[in-house]
Amino acid sequence: MISPDLIAGIFAFLLSLMIFSYLVGDNPLFRVAVHIFVGVSAGYVAAVAWWQALWPDLIFPLVSGPALQRALLAVPLVLSGLLLMKAWPALSRLGTPSMAILVGIGSAVAIGGAVTGTLFPQIGATINAFDLHKAASPFEVLINGGFILAGVATTLVYFHFSAGPAAGGSVKRFSLIEIIAFVGGIFLAITLGVLFAGVYSAALTALIERLHFFGTFFGLGN
Amino acid sequence: MRYVALVLAILTGLIVLVGYFVPALAPVQDMLLTWSIILAGTATLVGVFNLILVHGTKVTKREKGSIYSALLLFCLFAAFIFGLALGPDHPDIRLLVDVVIVPVEATLMALLAVTLLYASIRLLRRRANVMSVVFILTAVLMLFASATLPFGEIGPLNDFLRPWFQHVLALGGARGILIGVALGTLTTGLRVLFGADRPYGGK
Repeated sequence: MISPDLIAGIFAFLLSLMIFSYLVGDNPLFRVAVHIFVGVSAGYVAAVAWWQALWPDLIFPLVSGPALQRALLAVPLVLSGLLLMKAWPALSRLGTPSMAILVGIGSAVAIGGAVTGTLFPQIGATINAFDLHKAASPFEVLINGGFILAGVATTLVYFHFSAGPAAGGSVKRFSLIEIIAFVGGIFLAITLGVLFAGVYSAALTALIERLHFFGTFFGLGN
Repeated sequence: MRYVALVLAILTGLIVLVGYFVPALAPVQDMLLTWSIILAGTATLVGVFNLILVHGTKVTKREKGSIYSALLLFCLFAAFIFGLALGPDHPDIRLLVDVVIVPVEATLMALLAVTLLYASIRLLRRRANVMSVVFILTAVLMLFASATLPFGEIGPLNDFLRPWFQHVLALGGARGILIGVALGTLTTGLRVLFGADRPYGGK
């Protein structure tokens, strides 16, 4: 009798092969695999949303919680009902208040996260790069800290797009901003190059893992 | 409706934001965050329902590729019903994830090795400027430094250049990008809280 593990292995092997077929161009096998993937992922995500958000935070407390909690949960219950109206174009306007609450709370959380999770720590780390007690040579600290500070400042200037009128009716950034932005572009290129190398290494690792999976499936390795 | 939505967005957003600094508002902030989790869960269901509508329409109208849409809907309903009945942590649902989601994601990641190589070659052919050259040179340098070479490691590359590129030059650029993103998030968030931007609907 064929074991469930073998069937699972054959299915995973076939799906992997169908995805790999994209190397010869878009084809029906690739589309079948992608549609299976999207369908299963969407169904799984919906089940996870039910079991990890709606059931523990809404349905279960509504059924078995104290009276005050149940009364308070009537609000998100109604808002969720209104949000579901977004699925029908004719009734989608009813979901706008729910979306507004979601966006308002999301914005506040994003602001808090950006300030306390990114701005303060990153600015602090840039200042700490000049901490002379961190390395044996103060010269090394100053040089490295200077490069990091230059990278931060010029990268930020690179994304500064204010411009003034130039000859011929066009618009152009100021010359000094252009020069600093060019240096920022070099820092950006180096950063993206390092990130690219990291992503490429991860992709190569995945490729090797898949080839190893194929080899193991045919009994070529262990 | 437009003004109700505006007032709700500003009010809930401000309560959550002020809740970070005023401990007395923390219980209300917690309650609103729980509500937002519930609404996010419902929004996920709305998104999945929209996917069903789009592909269901394709199937009923027998449009081109409707057989793929039918397959997608079958897989979606099967995964949802089993996931709902058994729960996402059940061994059979974990098996479904291990058999479909993990292999496809891993293979798509593996395909990235080929497509990224192709894209980087095309980059130099289509846009051969200073930034492109620096980008490619840095990427090649990092890959050489991290790879196991047949003739052994190149000392200065591994001991000096790679750490310096990663921990100084790239760190500066990455920090600039992160601070820029945080400033953008801050500005966009404040525009929503002040009612200047209304992505939830209304002008």
